[in-house]
Amino acid sequence: MTLLAVHDLCSGYGSLQVLFGVSLRVDAGEVVALMGSNGAGKTTTLRTITGLLRPMSGSVVLDDQEITGTPPEKLVARGVVMVPEGRGMLRDLTVAENLAVGGYSVADKQEVAASLDRVWTTFPILHERRDQKAGTLSGGQQQMLALGRALMASPRLMLVDEASLGLSPVMTERAFSLVAELNRSLGVAVLIVEQNVLALDLAHRAYVLEKGQVVAFAEGAAVSTMQDQLRTAYLGAAR
Amino acid sequence: MSRRELPGRLGGLALLLLALVAPSFMNVPQTAVVTTATCVALVALGLDVLVGSTGQLSLAHAALFGVGCFTALGLGTHGAPWAVAFAGAVAATAAASVVIGLPSLRIRGLQVAIASLAFQQFAQQVPAKWDAVKFVGRTFDPPRWLSGVTAQYYLGVALVVAVLAVLAGLRRTRAGRSLLCVRDVEQRAVAFGVAPGTAKLFAYGVSGAITGLGGALFALQQTSVSDIQPFILRESLLLVAIVVVGGARSPVGILLAAFATKALPGLLAPHVGDGVALWIPVGLALVLVLSVVGQPEGIGGVLRDVGARLVPREPPDPRPAGTDPVVAAARARSLRLVPRPLTRRLPVPALLTARGVSVRYGGITALTELDLEVRRSEIVGLIGANGAGKSTFFNAVSGLAPTTGSIRFRDAELLTAAPASRSARGIARTFQDMGLVRAESVRENVLLAQGWMASYPAVTGMLGLGASVHTERELRRRADQALELFGLDHLAGERLGDLPYGTMRSVEIAAAVASGPDLLLLDEASAGLTPEEAHALGDRFRALRDELGLTLVVIEHHVPLIAATCDYCYCLESGALIAEGTPTEVTAQPRVVESFLGRGTLEPARTLSESAHVGTPT
Amino acid sequence: MLSSLVVGLAIGSAYSLLAVAVVLVYSGTKVLSLAVGEIGAFGLYAALWWHDHGLLGVRPPVFVSALVAMVLGGLLGLVVERLVMRPLLGRPALDGLVATLAVALFLALLELKLYGLDPFPAPSPVGDGSVQVAGATLTVTELTLLALAAVVALGLWLFLTRTSFGLATRATTSDPVVARLLGVPVNRVYVFAWGVSGLLAGAAAALLANVNGSLTPFSLTSALLSALAGAVIGGLDSLGGAVVGSLLVGIVNGVVGSRVDPTTSAGIVFVAVLLTLLVRPRGLFGSTRVAA
Repeated sequence: MTLLAVHDLCSGYGSLQVLFGVSLRVDAGEVVALMGSNGAGKTTTLRTITGLLRPMSGSVVLDDQEITGTPPEKLVARGVVMVPEGRGMLRDLTVAENLAVGGYSVADKQEVAASLDRVWTTFPILHERRDQKAGTLSGGQQQMLALGRALMASPRLMLVDEASLGLSPVMTERAFSLVAELNRSLGVAVLIVEQNVLALDLAHRAYVLEKGQVVAFAEGAAVSTMQDQLRTAYLGAAR
Repeated sequence: MSRRELPGRLGGLALLLLALVAPSFMNVPQTAVVTTATCVALVALGLDVLVGSTGQLSLAHAALFGVGCFTALGLGTHGAPWAVAFAGAVAATAAASVVIGLPSLRIRGLQVAIASLAFQQFAQQVPAKWDAVKFVGRTFDPPRWLSGVTAQYYLGVALVVAVLAVLAGLRRTRAGRSLLCVRDVEQRAVAFGVAPGTAKLFAYGVSGAITGLGGALFALQQTSVSDIQPFILRESLLLVAIVVVGGARSPVGILLAAFATKALPGLLAPHVGDGVALWIPVGLALVLVLSVVGQPEGIGGVLRDVGARLVPREPPDPRPAGTDPVVAAARARSLRLVPRPLTRRLPVPALLTARGVSVRYGGITALTELDLEVRRSEIVGLIGANGAGKSTFFNAVSGLAPTTGSIRFRDAELLTAAPASRSARGIARTFQDMGLVRAESVRENVLLAQGWMASYPAVTGMLGLGASVHTERELRRRADQALELFGLDHLAGERLGDLPYGTMRSVEIAAAVASGPDLLLLDEASAGLTPEEAHALGDRFRALRDELGLTLVVIEHHVPLIAATCDYCYCLESGALIAEGTPTEVTAQPRVVESFLGRGTLEPARTLSESAHVGTPT
Repeated sequence: MLSSLVVGLAIGSAYSLLAVAVVLVYSGTKVLSLAVGEIGAFGLYAALWWHDHGLLGVRPPVFVSALVAMVLGGLLGLVVERLVMRPLLGRPALDGLVATLAVALFLALLELKLYGLDPFPAPSPVGDGSVQVAGATLTVTELTLLALAAVVALGLWLFLTRTSFGLATRATTSDPVVARLLGVPVNRVYVFAWGVSGLLAGAAAALLANVNGSLTPFSLTSALLSALAGAVIGGLDSLGGAVVGSLLVGIVNGVVGSRVDPTTSAGIVFVAVLLTLLVRPRGLFGSTRVAA
């Protein structure tokens, strides 16, 4: 069942066009990777999907309803949450308060309490530091908080923007493991945007973005072939 | 003078003619009103040097106007000739302005505005203490030829014309470009050899001097001042309104706005009554609100749009013209000749040596004990995952990051040298997110990068005297040559921000080359390029090295490009060096592979889901 | 000495109302609103005019006029937010400052046109009595200011730390984009901030005009500048800092202003602001983000 569909998205900043007709799809419960190097348009794609940017043309459809240009605060109630680049810590608020903000738009307070318990169980370190200011956490802990905070709204789709940024390889692996685990146990669909080819290990489907266009696509078993190809292109000899 | 400037020049000329003949159809009181408006116009032009050119918002210019006026009065009522009174007012106001500007060395933007507000608030209390005592019963008596209303009017016009000429001179020279640099890219100004502090104080000084002229003329006109109404907060706010509505860096717009605010109500009042005349300032404020929200470029912007429409033109192809890198570089060999002292040009084996370089921002360590060497005529690659510290190293070399350790360039320690001296010493760089001034033309940006070569004093430049003219011409020639090298010369007059991102980045490299460096630091020059374009970039790197004698350090993600072009390569991870050697050696090391691609120990998601797949394929 | 101290505290309380209004708006939007003073004054002018002249045969008592001034101030704040500030979101903070400057100029010049330059009589909304406090004589107006400032400070603190919308406001202050991504209705936070700041401006205007004796165009903006000095010294994104800073400035103005002269007290405040900006730009209690 298709959860999110993006059709021919053209988007950019003012007169600078970055995306030139991007189309992709995320089905319920699956992990989709959007790969690309710096400047390819990955973050622009997520920002347009989530409504921070208005596209120049094209559409974003959630559950068969058009959400193009719908502001992000409204999308949270519909089950779409973004984990921003750099983790987006609310630095002056404590861990507990950050999580509370994550649950802000949920009307049912019991549901919020249940989500909070789930987060404490999944991330015991966060529970230990619940009254600590978010700005004082380490990179890995902030990543956990960012994921936990996203979970507070019981999302159906998580958009993860370059989780590996600024993390060591060990931390990156851990972050990807977490995302994979959340997908497996909670059935949350994930659209993960990355430069790091390792992300393809989690993905059921993958797209490669280059200069604002999708240049490659792989599904199922073909994803690991794509991973090998990208590895070679990345580190291999010149064409 | 290009076709595009024609409407502006003609308009200015028309205004000048109008101003010259105006007194013949105005009576004496009307002429006096216009002269007072001219005083305010001068202050507004002075304020524009800060707001429009340097991006500093001053809310204290009415107080500075008062400083000029009272200084002229003080000198004039005690017997000084009018020229001395004027000179004194200019000097005093310039000095006061520089003092107000001192906080801008440490603080920026909003806080500068607040500091100026605090000064205005304080300054308007001061006259209450000693005004009455000092000036009662005394008047500033001008010489007979200046005591007539018409004569004072023409003095005002002459002053405005002189100021406009000086401001035009400013715009054409290094000092003016430095101000723009501070306005738009202050954090990186040092990379272009601009010391922001000096540039700002210079701007405050010039601004104060022009304001002082306005104050002196006002003192001459009024001969004595009995109340401080022209110097209070309300007037400072009105001045900002005049500059914004007129359009930053648009003298004609500002003159029109000043006239509308200060002359029009007085001129219209006898005809339409005071009541209606009082609506004009209200109207101006409303226009100001609308301007800020809707048309930030003010009247000047509107005039520019109209002018552009009158002179239609075909926009040029925004892509660089294809050139053979080697041929083009050979043609541009004269770029190697730079006015750098011999000691800074002697060949040395190790051009750049970094030892134990660490960069710490508060609690975060971005670079740890880095050791690195760049030899003459090498192309050195710097690779690593995002956030590994590569750009941080460039910032350390540029003097933009809090660095410990040692970085020696040509055996002179860089870390103890002023950051703005880098380009004079022979280091040029580009930024990951394009560090040029988008609001200016391509050529202006290249000239900006060459700032260190424009060694004439700023005042000479503003007055358009000898050495500056010759130097500017030479710099323009170099700029055009550098643009030609990259196939960008047909875009020289285009506004940088209007060009595609890839072209902007090419301009940035051209500008860096134009500054005549020995060492060129390129930050992700291949970002966003296709594999073919990246390959061509490699040819260009080699051409720059072979024909122009440059040494390059390139930050790249595109590993094949590194392999094809680099003689030596350093790999960083989380701020530390993990491998160095030839590209082949480095990319073969497992630690490097792991850093980029991870260890691949995750359970692939697909194998699990193949048995419990939720969705339907495609 | 004590009485000028207490009067200074009262004036400082008025400043703190204005400073809180400024900080409320600054926290989320990074826009420094110079319009707060005239927003309050404009509402007060209209309300006092109504009190003097009546409308449709109704002439409200002064106390009601003060409430009207507050409501008008709040409404005006909402209008400014919607028409001027909302379109400017995402533009540099200085553009916002100039926009609020334009609004202040517009309102003040409009007041000048409608009501003239002559001082407009401003009777006290709480009567003309006076009270003896610790040996000093305070008018009821001044006492009301002290009480109101305390109530407002406490109320805002409780709001921010104990309510969920308060949490949303703090999230918006911390990072508006992230807050939106988490579902916080950031626009509603801005509307609230501007509305409440308008209310506070109206209240401050109603009381301060009486303390000063009368209402003139730009007079509330002058008071705002002192409040702003206090907010800067206290920390532009700290409500507690705004209150403390304004009280300090009020005390300086009250004590030095009456015992020496206003010029010297203005000089002291100027130097204090300058020192704060140079030595500790974030103020006494502000966060490091202020200096950015």
